[in-house]
Amino acid sequence: MRAPLRLLGWCVVACIGAAAIAVLALHRGETVSAAWLLTAAVATYAIGYRFYSRLIATRIFGLDAARVTPAVAHEDGRDYVPTNRWIVFGHHFAAIAGPGPLVGPTLAAQFGYLPGAIWILIGCVLGGAVQDFVILCASLRRDGRSLGAMAADEIGPVAGTTALVAVLGIMIILVAVLALVVVNALKASPWGTVTLALTVPIALLLGVYLRFLRPDRVLEATAIGLVLLAGALFAGRWVAEQPALASHFTLGPLALSAWIIAYAFAASVLPVWLLLAPRDYLSAFVKIGVVLALAIGIVILLPPLRMPAITPFVNGTGPVIAGKVFPFVCITIACGAISGFHALIASGTTPKMLAHEPDARPIGYGAMCLESLVAILALIAACSLTPGVYFAINAPAGLLGTTAESAAHAVAGWGFQVSPSDLTTLAHQVGETSLLSRTGGAPSLAVGMAQVFAGVLGRPADHAAAGGGLALWYHFAIMFEALFLLTTLDAGTRVGRFMLQDLAGRVWAPLGRVGWYPAVILCSALFVGTWGLFLYQGVTDPLGGVNSLWPLFGIANQLLAAIALAVGTTVIMRMGKARYAAVTLVPLAWLVVVAGSAGCLKIFSSDPRLGFLAHARQQLAAHVAHAGEIAFNDRLDATVAAAALVAVLVILVESARVWIRLWRAPYSGDRLLAVAAD
Amino acid sequence: MRRLLASVRGALRAIVGAPDYRRYLAHMARAHPGIAPLSRAAYVREREAARYDRPGTRCC
Repeated sequence: MRAPLRLLGWCVVACIGAAAIAVLALHRGETVSAAWLLTAAVATYAIGYRFYSRLIATRIFGLDAARVTPAVAHEDGRDYVPTNRWIVFGHHFAAIAGPGPLVGPTLAAQFGYLPGAIWILIGCVLGGAVQDFVILCASLRRDGRSLGAMAADEIGPVAGTTALVAVLGIMIILVAVLALVVVNALKASPWGTVTLALTVPIALLLGVYLRFLRPDRVLEATAIGLVLLAGALFAGRWVAEQPALASHFTLGPLALSAWIIAYAFAASVLPVWLLLAPRDYLSAFVKIGVVLALAIGIVILLPPLRMPAITPFVNGTGPVIAGKVFPFVCITIACGAISGFHALIASGTTPKMLAHEPDARPIGYGAMCLESLVAILALIAACSLTPGVYFAINAPAGLLGTTAESAAHAVAGWGFQVSPSDLTTLAHQVGETSLLSRTGGAPSLAVGMAQVFAGVLGRPADHAAAGGGLALWYHFAIMFEALFLLTTLDAGTRVGRFMLQDLAGRVWAPLGRVGWYPAVILCSALFVGTWGLFLYQGVTDPLGGVNSLWPLFGIANQLLAAIALAVGTTVIMRMGKARYAAVTLVPLAWLVVVAGSAGCLKIFSSDPRLGFLAHARQQLAAHVAHAGEIAFNDRLDATVAAAALVAVLVILVESARVWIRLWRAPYSGDRLLAVAAD
Repeated sequence: MRRLLASVRGALRAIVGAPDYRRYLAHMARAHPGIAPLSRAAYVREREAARYDRPGTRCC
């Protein structure tokens, strides 16, 4: 009696979700409420979680509470610690939710809200959440082995090495693009620069506090840190109001880049307790707190989506990201839909903490749905801006010019209305001299978030005043995003240094010694120098850099996801569940099409805005200043994209060979072992 | 009330990935009673170092 009732309940959820999607898709003309998008998202996740993740949990892996997990079997009080499932959920979510799901959807808003929303929802329930869940289960059954180790074991040594090199390559691009987003958010902004710069001494202070004054009192230190962060926000405003002081902190993109590179180098060589660990604790709390606040704010306010459902830029002429909506919406939004990086977490710390196998379902599949919801929130915040304002913030100076008048004119040419005085007024309201061409997504998201927070809490009269409520919220959002970005950037640099040392140690053993300072400094410099080169290329690019680096990051991230899904497919087939292989094969095929076509377009397209090689030829032919340098950068980018495509191909060929063998040797204990052995 | 506060504190610490020395001591006492455990400072140092030496603890 209860089963049919429950089924009826799910039918109602499905109908509500379908109705919400229909409203979003068919709505034309005026604005549409964010409530529809939120409803569609929650219904999609609920149905995906209830039915699809259950199929994976029961039919494929047969998750069993009685089976001993690695955390229980190898408990050591360090890595392997059986932990309450909600705590693991929080830990896993804090680890996977970085700046990616905030930046990607903001950039993809140029296509309108619909393409991004559809890809985030479908990509999550059929792709990203499946990837995270399958890799988590696979690692759980293999003593918490890492993705690279599983690729080597399940597919072969070539695949394992490809995976390792791919991870290192992606780290370089990721760190460079995150640094570029920070630079674009802080350039010519003394308030933002001072606030973020102050977070470094705050972290050092907390490091000393945790080491010498009150050892291991993490929560106490973090509480002090939060108070100091609030102080830093006001200190930034105070500095920005003193013209003599402000000029020292009004930095151009190159100066900011140099500071960020120096900071990352320091984070890589200094002891962890001094800088990285205290920053990380602080940033984890700020992250969870702000994401929650944004969710609550959007639910209370339910802002109208002012961006059209679909903009004319789906044809590939968009100023934010070059290229047509397909495949580039799927490249621009990686985190939030499907992100290969998650496979590293799902085969990293998380599988070593699970106390019971069935916990993998809420953590693997559920946490990804929550991250996807964060991406939807970012999309809502970006699409709730007036489209003209959105494009004025996100389009590069090469297209907008440098004055409010030229920007308003360019935006009008794209079919969106915004007056020059609106642009200058908004800039003053958020405490900046200009918001034009702050590409990278962070500033437009900050404006969106500031309007949400101020709309919920502030009095309208406060917003109008320069340096008032809206300005505080804007700079709070910028501080949050930059803190967030820098925490990924510094930890990424350190991990990259370790990976480099690991590789270098195979050539000459002393280089691998993590305690030997010459090797530490050399490898740190090498890693920082490599991403610094990409950052330099980004900040000197007249088209804003984000235009070329973000798609490169997207392609690389999707490549890693393809590796993870290939590993997942192999694992499923090895269990004798080849009839369910489509669960990972379908998203894998989709990613190969997406990353493959996007990669080929970025390399070979004859449109100089899109294709790296065409852009190099155009710049050389036009004899622009630094043409040789620009052409070199373009060809470097083309090489990186080509390397990613080759890596996908290698993994596919290697996996296909294993799959064919497994397919020919249907499940039986002995034959499976024979296949595994050769 | 005290116990509730302590468990909230423990949960928050675990979510941000702070090291859990008491748990480690309990494990050492149970599983390796013959071996002297690390001091708190040494344990915290070892845990923090392990956190940043490989991918798998942080994402984009």
